[in-house]
Amino acid sequence: MNLLKKNKVVFIASAMMALTVGAVYVYQYISMSPKDVVEITPEYVGDATEFNFLVTDNLSYWTGKVVQITGEVTELTEGGVVINGAIFCQFENGNDLKSIVENQQINIKGKLVGFDEILMEIKLNQCIIP
Amino acid sequence: MMIKKQILILFFLLLSFQLNAQKYFTRSGVTQFEASEKAFEPVEAINNSTTVILDTPNGSILSQVFIAGFQFKNALMQEHFNENYMDTHQYPKATFKGNLINLSLENLNSDERFELSGTISVRGIEKSIETTVNVKEENNRIYISGMFFVSPQDFQIKIPSIVRDKIAKQIQINIDYELIEKK
Repeated sequence: MNLLKKNKVVFIASAMMALTVGAVYVYQYISMSPKDVVEITPEYVGDATEFNFLVTDNLSYWTGKVVQITGEVTELTEGGVVINGAIFCQFENGNDLKSIVENQQINIKGKLVGFDEILMEIKLNQCIIP
Repeated sequence: MMIKKQILILFFLLLSFQLNAQKYFTRSGVTQFEASEKAFEPVEAINNSTTVILDTPNGSILSQVFIAGFQFKNALMQEHFNENYMDTHQYPKATFKGNLINLSLENLNSDERFELSGTISVRGIEKSIETTVNVKEENNRIYISGMFFVSPQDFQIKIPSIVRDKIAKQIQINIDYELIEKK
């Protein structure tokens, strides 16, 4: 009898603990903030012009994907750079932009948000220098 | 000879129009929406890569925002927004096409209010928008800011009853654009 009672207490205590741990996990899962570009493995690594062709071919596949491209800076703007005259990369942090000059070769990681039909260029967001 | 002259006149006329048509644009305009209900988790997101192009002096304006570019504080909310509500893969962008009525760049040193009217298109569905925005010119930059309301039904966005109370019926859209001259 005594042993059963003891078991019951142990059982209830461990069940409560399991529930609490579960609740904490669930809470953490639902309140997670979006992953940073730094943490995501790029789906494409390589040349910007080649990437441009891939996107023209299948835009919807690349929308929302993180990629890492290499190319020449053809234009410097306030929030970002234009690569090979066709891909606009908007930076997460303005400080990364300070060291960039026009016509230099650059390697950039960012998230593709779409093709801008007004300016005819591909747009990458949250860009960083990996 | 006469025809040649007429063509020449037409050519110069067109050229003068071309010279007159000045354009201002941005790639990094801020578009925000706010759909929070009191006492529930905030439902809001910011997009700081809105493309806007403004034709002066006629005031016609064109803007485009990528749905995938809206950033939430909560990852799961962002995922639901893109996958369940906005169908981002099918409709990757929202656009606005309209006019700043009676826009003139003179006397724009301080905030002036202009009527903005046009059509917004979200998920392939159009809705006309009428609002008043602040416009200012400083150092050859044009600043446009303002807000308007839309509702999820306008664009046939279905919200499940389980979360209906947590999402505002009227969603406030804030815009804040800083345009530079396009060369």
